[in-house]
Amino acid sequence: MIRHHPDEALLAALAAGTLPRGADVVVAAHAERCPHCQARLRELDAVGGALLEDAEPAVLSPEALARTLARIDAAPAKAAADVAPAASDVSAARLQASLPDGMTWPRSLRGAAATRWRWLGPGMRWSRVTLADDRAANVFLLRIAAGKSLPVHSHRGIELTQVLYGTFHDGRARFGAGDFDEADDSIHHQPVVEAGGECICLASVEGHVAFDGRVARVLGALVGM
Amino acid sequence: MPTSEDMNDLVRAVATSGDRQAFAVLFKHFAPRVATYLVRGGVPEPLAEELAQETMVALWRKAASFDPTRAGVSTWLFTIARNLRIDRHRRRGDEDRPGPLDEDGDDSVDPAPWPDESLATAQRERRIRHALGRLSPEQSLILQLSYFADKPHASIARELRIPLGTVKSRIRLAMNNLRRLIDTPQP
Repeated sequence: MIRHHPDEALLAALAAGTLPRGADVVVAAHAERCPHCQARLRELDAVGGALLEDAEPAVLSPEALARTLARIDAAPAKAAADVAPAASDVSAARLQASLPDGMTWPRSLRGAAATRWRWLGPGMRWSRVTLADDRAANVFLLRIAAGKSLPVHSHRGIELTQVLYGTFHDGRARFGAGDFDEADDSIHHQPVVEAGGECICLASVEGHVAFDGRVARVLGALVGM
Repeated sequence: MPTSEDMNDLVRAVATSGDRQAFAVLFKHFAPRVATYLVRGGVPEPLAEELAQETMVALWRKAASFDPTRAGVSTWLFTIARNLRIDRHRRRGDEDRPGPLDEDGDDSVDPAPWPDESLATAQRERRIRHALGRLSPEQSLILQLSYFADKPHASIARELRIPLGTVKSRIRLAMNNLRRLIDTPQP
């Protein structure tokens, strides 16, 4: 059962289309497996629809309709199948092959590239995710073994995390598969993975992360934070 | 002015028989509003008209996948126009790459029967629209900016000279009020 959802303002920004790309894929990864948030998004989309309905109509050129019909006649709808998988999908596919059974790869990462799992510390691995349409977005996967903890860190920006597999506890609450977390600069936390099994999370960071300790500094340098 | 149920029927006519008259009615109503949405988001006017046309071309092509039990036509078009705007940003940021795959690329959906739930959806959307008109000016403004200005919340905060947290809490309050108004029986 999903207990932790994105905040209203975050979902509203997703519906408005104004989230930075990194945040967008993490919030979307939550929404795609959360019926509760899907219903909230439908409502938020409907607010957009109502605002559109109430918008003052602009004056279009007199030929606008004729031009649109000409465009419809000129190019029949593209077949959905003519889009070849991007090369980047291949690297993500390799990573996906290494995932535990029962873990689903987020649809929001379609077209993204992901590095192989890289060592980060004992029981800690990570993969840098590169989005096709925003290569600078700070998105990564973390894979932490049972019982291990992430380095203590705080943020100068906002860190969004979607739990894809397993469970961790960060001293504030317990986060299981499907749960979402938003941590801002007021939070100094140390997520600990539960003893039962490993945990895989998708995360994005805006701004910089301040880690304490050596492993943490290595992660900071690797992720480019 | 056509009701949202009329709009549903017009989209259905486009889907089932390529009805150009129905399309013209939809175009006349929505294309100028979509253009306004884009202009307010900072798209220059000639391009806004171009993208409004593109939105309507998408309506034509995707008409068969329109599902009135999920959303009314205005909501559906809002999401199409929003996605076009996002795609345009992304393409501008990285010119050589093809645009991202269409988010709802599965257009091979059979035209669904017109079940009764579409009435509930239409009614709910009508209530949302009605409730929007009853929000405080402050909350109405924050939603307008949030949806139409194409700016992250941090920019809106700077523009209004209020803290980021206040932008977020106003959005929360606005949505809570909307829900309360929607669930209150209409006068």
